[in-house]
Amino acid sequence: MALKTDKIVSPKREVETTGHEWDGLAELNNPLPKWWLYIFAACIVVALVQMLLYPSIPGITGYWHGLLGYSTRAGVERDVKALVAERAVSMDRIAALPIADVVRDPGLLQVANTSGHITFANNCQPCHGAGGAGAPGYPALAAGAWIWGGKLEDIELTLIHGIRSGDADARMSAMPHFGADAILSPAEIQTVADHVATLYGIAGAAPSAKGAELFAANCAACHGEAGEGNRSVGAPALKSRVHLYGDTRAAIVAQVTNPRQGVMPFWNTRLDPATIKSVAIYVHGLGGGE
Amino acid sequence: MTDASITYMAPHQLSTRLAPVYNEAIVRKFTIATMFWGIVAFLVGCTIAAELCWPGLSMGISYLNFGRLRPVHTSAAIFAFGGNALFATSLYVVQRTCRARLFGGAALAEFLFWGYNFFIVMAALSYVMGFSRSQEYSEPPWHVTIFLVIVWVCYAVVFVGTLLRREEPHIYVANWFYLAFILTVAILVLVNNAAVPVSLYSSHAYVAYGGVQNALIQWWYGHNAVGFFLTAAFLGMMYYFIPKQANRPVYSYRLSIVHFWSLIFMYIWAGPHHLHYTSLPDWTQTLGMAFSIMLWMPSWGGMINGLMTLSGAWDKLRTDPALRFSVTAVGFYGMSTFEGPVMSVRDVNALAHYTDWVIGHVHSGALGWVAFISFGAIYYLVPVLWNRTGLYSKKLVAWHYWIATLGIVFYMTSMWVAGIMQGLMWRAYDKFGFLQYSFVESVNAVHPYYIIRLMGGLMFLVGALIMVFNLVMTVRSRTTEEFARTSQDYPDAVMAGE
Amino acid sequence: MKDSGEIFVGLMVAALGFAGLVLASGALDDEMYLFGFSLAGFALFFDLMLLKHHYDRVDAARAEVRPMARGAARHD
Repeated sequence: MALKTDKIVSPKREVETTGHEWDGLAELNNPLPKWWLYIFAACIVVALVQMLLYPSIPGITGYWHGLLGYSTRAGVERDVKALVAERAVSMDRIAALPIADVVRDPGLLQVANTSGHITFANNCQPCHGAGGAGAPGYPALAAGAWIWGGKLEDIELTLIHGIRSGDADARMSAMPHFGADAILSPAEIQTVADHVATLYGIAGAAPSAKGAELFAANCAACHGEAGEGNRSVGAPALKSRVHLYGDTRAAIVAQVTNPRQGVMPFWNTRLDPATIKSVAIYVHGLGGGE
Repeated sequence: MTDASITYMAPHQLSTRLAPVYNEAIVRKFTIATMFWGIVAFLVGCTIAAELCWPGLSMGISYLNFGRLRPVHTSAAIFAFGGNALFATSLYVVQRTCRARLFGGAALAEFLFWGYNFFIVMAALSYVMGFSRSQEYSEPPWHVTIFLVIVWVCYAVVFVGTLLRREEPHIYVANWFYLAFILTVAILVLVNNAAVPVSLYSSHAYVAYGGVQNALIQWWYGHNAVGFFLTAAFLGMMYYFIPKQANRPVYSYRLSIVHFWSLIFMYIWAGPHHLHYTSLPDWTQTLGMAFSIMLWMPSWGGMINGLMTLSGAWDKLRTDPALRFSVTAVGFYGMSTFEGPVMSVRDVNALAHYTDWVIGHVHSGALGWVAFISFGAIYYLVPVLWNRTGLYSKKLVAWHYWIATLGIVFYMTSMWVAGIMQGLMWRAYDKFGFLQYSFVESVNAVHPYYIIRLMGGLMFLVGALIMVFNLVMTVRSRTTEEFARTSQDYPDAVMAGE
Repeated sequence: MKDSGEIFVGLMVAALGFAGLVLASGALDDEMYLFGFSLAGFALFFDLMLLKHHYDRVDAARAEVRPMARGAARHD
């Protein structure tokens, strides 16, 4: 095939092949490209300099710490310290004040909302959903339907100790297993569900006198005579449009038969008091705060 | 211009010396397996890419779970596709460049093929069933790996045995790389898989190393799997097929010696660059970084030799689309082996670690280098192995080339953007000193790029399907009728054919 | 052409197959069970294939007693 220009022709026509041949293949013995050698040498120098400046060579017990005294661990500690100091300007004040006073200060409120927002997004959102939208089994924090109370102090306490979380001061509630423990027969559960359905406001739910009787005998002690709930024992308001485990009649039956009782983790060992206050303020401000 | 000292031989022609009967049947088997597993690997890759875009795609079926399919994809790409390509080409190259038939006979070669592919199938089944060692590229349970070791020992015996019974006085450069790959992978697999099984009858085993020691052993293994399995071995492939396809001598023997020894020396130390800013000691991290930087030029030695071998034959790129794959592969190789050392620098890694930039880097190497050099070799090999006059359609090769290259570009660039975006979002602080973005916001932000990446992967898959069609037609079509090889061409040899 | 490796490979794979059966026999989880039986199946398939190829070669060698067309292929 004719070659286009002389430039394509290898000037290395002067370079010999090695004289060896394998299956028709041969090798020229061109010298190492100068640029390649120089860059290789430069890289070796750079590498050696790095090994000189940074921790590098290990000994039997210790290691060469490098001329710069560099340490990733020390660096992290330094960075975290600087960050905490930067945040401390506001966060220390938030930690010191009662939560109700924090919201009264616009500057602190802004800091608290910023901290609360990002902490919520990284820690709470996986369960409670973006903006506190909730999901089946995970309370919708923005809905304003509180089981344990929606004031700032209530939310703060829930965050600190959790619910059924294993913490010594965790909020505890225990709905009896009416079906699983045979406290009520399946027929009775269906009957009381009729009544609860009217509290839920389910379309087509007819009032049931028998159901109301069963309700008064078994449920009202915690859930209230009119199904208004009781925050001191963590019994949800049944006369409501917001329901944790679903708002269908089947959901009522399931919950009465074999109640699901979720766990809210405690955060007092994972978040500092100022951050917990911030999250509480943020959650309170999602739309449902009291 | 001709180099008077060398006569370049046309394809399909051996020299006038006595030619031994090569075992080409086994190369044919491995070649077919390579393409089969390639399609599997690319298909599973597209599946998991789609799952990353739309997690509900697994429909709650545990066998389709991302966590289970991901190692199916990585193992299929590296060990199934890459491994079979290496078996095919190494066994072809070692015979031809030694002028010796495979040591150990046909039976041992058959065991290599069936045994290796059995290992692959068992590994994939284990992952889909939910069994995995959970260590990157080292997921097969202990007993499956023991089987691999048995196959690997046989591979070493066959390869080294063939070298030892060679008729050529010198060992061709491609074989140095293949040999380094075989021996080093053996050591890597043995060390990284050291474990005490819970019971002889259980799939589970206690890893011999714990904590950060485990991490370092794993990434010494992981990086050298990439360095020897995916780099050194495929350089061996390149060293045979590029000069063969270009019909030119290799550019520099001297360079091949220097870059070979420096590459295999430097690569071993690079593992810690996977563990920057972890609990791995600083001194180990620095060593990993330093050697990764020194690794740059030894890697580029392969690129130089590959590209400069084309000098005097660049015009062939217009007429030989298969050669285009090989040459482009070398180009991507150069790009990846520059990107790698850059990402190894601690300060760069501070941004890149755990981001999709790493995935982009992996795939520019895996698709651009490993797959492309394999495609180039296979496009050359199939007509030779099946005695055809040539490929069924050069146009289809060109289509494959452009679709696949575009796919790679989409893949790389989308992952670069996603990776840098993740890195920047994760380290952004607002004026009060709090994190600017939550993690889930960074997940949302990269969603469009995940879709682009999926498109790139689909294009790559389509290209590979075009290749399979072309190869099947090459073997079966009348238009590529058997090359008439008569006994006049080869006085005392009988062709091994099927 | 004699294939000297045949016997060694055949015995080695048979041993592996037997090992597979042993593993499957006491398997504590599904994966080991599958692996053991698959290994045994693989060994069976592979050794049968070895035998087939061996006797194919023997037959082809016998056929060589009669004149063969030039350039005709024969099995490995």
